[in-house]
Amino acid sequence: MNTELLFNGFAILAVLGAVGLVLFRHPMNGAMSLVVTMVALAGLYALLSAKLIFALQLIVYAGAIMSLILFIIMFLNLQEKDLPEESGRWYYLLGGVVVIAPIALFLIKIVKTLPGSEATIVGGGFGGIKEVGLVLFQDWLLPFEIVSILLLIALVGAVVLAGKRRLGK
Amino acid sequence: MGATVKTLPRKGASLKERLYLIEIVKGMATTFGHFFRNLLDNRRLYVRHYPEVQPEIPVRWRGRHRLTTHEDGSVKCVACFMCQTNCPANCIQITAGERLDGRTEKMPVKFTIDLLECIYCGYCVEACPLDAIRMDTGIFSVTGDKRSSFVLELSDLLASKGAFAEEDYKKGGA
Amino acid sequence: MSALDILMVVVRVAFSAFIPLCFIAVCVWMERRGAGFFQDRSGPNRANIFGFRAAGLVQNLADAAKLIFKEDVTSGHIKHKFYFVLAPLIVFFTAVVSFAVVPFADTLVLGGKSYLMQGIPLDLGILWFLSFVGFSVYGIILAGWSSTNKYGVLGGLRSAAQVISYEIPMGLAIVSLLVVYGTIHLNEIAQFQGQLLFGFIPMWGAVLQPLGMVIFIVAAFAETNRTPFDLAEGESELVAGFHVEYSAMKFAVFFMGEYVALFVSSAMIVTLFFGGYQVPFLSTATLINNAKPVAFLLMIAVPVAMHYFAGWIRRSNVSHYPRENDPRVFEAEIYIKCFWGLVIFLEVVLLLILFADKGGPAAHIFVMLLQMATFLVKITMMIFVYIWVRWTLPRFRYDQLQRLGWQTLLPLALLNIFVTSAVVVALS
Repeated sequence: MNTELLFNGFAILAVLGAVGLVLFRHPMNGAMSLVVTMVALAGLYALLSAKLIFALQLIVYAGAIMSLILFIIMFLNLQEKDLPEESGRWYYLLGGVVVIAPIALFLIKIVKTLPGSEATIVGGGFGGIKEVGLVLFQDWLLPFEIVSILLLIALVGAVVLAGKRRLGK
Repeated sequence: MGATVKTLPRKGASLKERLYLIEIVKGMATTFGHFFRNLLDNRRLYVRHYPEVQPEIPVRWRGRHRLTTHEDGSVKCVACFMCQTNCPANCIQITAGERLDGRTEKMPVKFTIDLLECIYCGYCVEACPLDAIRMDTGIFSVTGDKRSSFVLELSDLLASKGAFAEEDYKKGGA
Repeated sequence: MSALDILMVVVRVAFSAFIPLCFIAVCVWMERRGAGFFQDRSGPNRANIFGFRAAGLVQNLADAAKLIFKEDVTSGHIKHKFYFVLAPLIVFFTAVVSFAVVPFADTLVLGGKSYLMQGIPLDLGILWFLSFVGFSVYGIILAGWSSTNKYGVLGGLRSAAQVISYEIPMGLAIVSLLVVYGTIHLNEIAQFQGQLLFGFIPMWGAVLQPLGMVIFIVAAFAETNRTPFDLAEGESELVAGFHVEYSAMKFAVFFMGEYVALFVSSAMIVTLFFGGYQVPFLSTATLINNAKPVAFLLMIAVPVAMHYFAGWIRRSNVSHYPRENDPRVFEAEIYIKCFWGLVIFLEVVLLLILFADKGGPAAHIFVMLLQMATFLVKITMMIFVYIWVRWTLPRFRYDQLQRLGWQTLLPLALLNIFVTSAVVVALS
C-alpha cells in the first residue's frame, strides 16, 4: 500500500520533472526540473531496494552531473533577452509527441511481456554494495574493464583537447 | 640619490616548507599557546573593559570642540572666520554680530559645528588667533538619536569645560 | 511495534535531529569566544539575562532575536524568488539530513532485540553522506545565481567549483578507507576501530590511514567552505559571496546550515578516523562486561574534575576592574552550584548502575550513554580544530586552492589507494 503510494508519487514527480524540462523556457528552470526527475528516479530505485544504484544516482547524476550543468548555466548568466526566439515550439512539441507516443506504447507492451516483470522485492541483500560488487567483478569483469578503458580514453581525450591550445603556440 | 635596494631571502622554497603541514602545525602551536594561556587565566587578555574602564586621554588628543571664555565668562571668539575658512570639512558655520561689551567689535551670534561632518583634524584650533576654540574636552564618544543632536550650537560649545589643567594644555598643546 | 521500539525510534530521531541544531549554538559560541582567546581578546561576554552571561552563550540568544526580528528584505531586482528562498533551505536541510546515518553509539541490545543507534537505520553509510554533501552545492549555486548580484555570482561560482573539485579527493580518500575497513556501514567502521593494534594502540583510521586522514580533513575543510578555503566569502574582495543579498532569517538559515555542516563533517571525521563513539582502549564488549568498575572510576573522577573546574570558574568569572560587590563572583557561585547539582545527579545515576545486574539492560544503557558522551566530546574537539585552523591560517588564493586540489590531493589520494590495496592484499 505504502509502496504503491510512494511509487505513484515518485513516478508522477519524475514525469512532471521531465515535462518541465521540455516546457520551461529558462534553462535554470529546465535544469532544476531535471534534478527533480533525477531525485524521483533515485526514489524509484530505492523502492526497488537497489540501494547502491539509489546512492549512485544521487551522488553521480543528481549530485555531480546536474550540479555541473547548473554551474555552467550560472557561469553563462543568461538573461531573459539572451534566450533564443522559439516561434514554432508548440508544433515541434506536438510533432514529437506524435512520433514518440507509438514507440512508448510499443516499449510498454514489450516490457509487460518480459518474464518476471511482476516480481517486486527480490531476496535479502539484493542491490547492496557487496552484492553488486561481487556480480560486477566476478561475472562481468571483462565488460567492466572495457567500459573503464573507454572512460579512460574519454578522459585522455579531454586532457588532450584542453591542452591543445598551449601546444600550438 | 638612488634608492637603496635590500634583497630579502625568499622563504617557502624548501621541501619542508612546501609540505605546508609542518609549517601549519608550527603556526597552530603558536595560536594554541595564546588560546591556552588566555583560557587558563583570562586576566592577561589585552583588553580594556571599556565602559567601566575609560581610556586615559593625553593632552594633545583631539576630542570634541569647545569655545573658551574670558575670566568674566564672555566668549573669546571674535568671529574672524579663520576656523570656518580653514575647515576642510566645512562643518563650522559662524554668524557674526556686533559686540557691545567693549572688548572688540565683533562676536559670534551663532556658532555651529556639525560633528557628523567634522573630521577632527584640529585645523580650526591651529587657525584660531585668539585660542578661542580648543579640542581639549576629552569627549571622544558622541551619541544621539537624530542628526540635529550632532549639531553643536554656541551654547553647547561654551558649556563644556576643558578636561586638563591650563598649564598642562599650554605645555602639551602649544 | 512495542512501546520500547517506539521509544527507541524517538530517541534516535531526537538525537540525530536535535543534537546538530543544539550544536549550532555551541559552535557559534566556541567560534566567537575561541577567536577572542586566540587573538588575546575576550570575545562577546556582556549579553546577559538578569546578570547571568553563561560565559557568553547568552549572546547567541541576542543574535537569534536580532536575526528573527530584522526586516527580511528581498531586493526588487531578484527575479527568481522561488530559488532565492529555496537555496538556504537546501543548504540547511542537506546538512541536517546527512547526519542521519552517523551512529552515535554501538548497537544497543535490549530485551533480545538490537537497535542501530543512528537517525535512519539505513545501511548506506558513507554513500548517504556523500550524496547529501553533493546536494548542498545546489544551495550555493542557486543562492549565488538567483541573487542577480556580481558578488553573489562570483562567490557562488568559486564555492561551487571548490566543493565539486574537492569532492573527488574526498571520495578517493574514502575509497582507501573502505579498502581497510572492508565495509561502508559507519557502525561497522566504528566497531572495527574499537580493536587494538599490537594490543595497545587503538585501531583508529588515523593510525591506519594517516595520509587518507590528511586528505579527507583538508577536503572536508574545503567542503564546509571554511578557512583556509573560505574564499567564497572573501570579505575583502567579494563582500560576503553567495549570501550577499540575504538578510534576517534567510541569512540565519544559511548561517545555521553552515554550522550544521561543520558539525556533521566533524562527526564524519571522528567516525572515520578517530574511532567514532568508541571510548579509547575500551571496546563495547569490554565496557559492558566491566560496567561496574568503569562506573566506580567515573564516580571518583567526576567530582575531582568538577573540583578543578569549579576553581577555574571562580578564577575566570570575575570582573577585571575594581568594582564593589562584584556581581560576577555571585554569578560564578551560582554556576558552580548548578554544576555540582549536575555532578550529584550523575553520581546518583552511576550509583544505580553499581547496584544493577551485571551485563543487564542497565549496563547496556550505561555504555550507550557513555559512548554518546564520548562521541560528542570527540566532535567538540574536532570542531575546535576547525576553529583553531580558522584563526591560524590565512586564506588560500583561488588558483592555489585548485592546484592543491587537483595537482596535490588527487594524485596523493590515488597513490594512497594503490599502496593501501597492495598492503591489504599482501596481509590477507
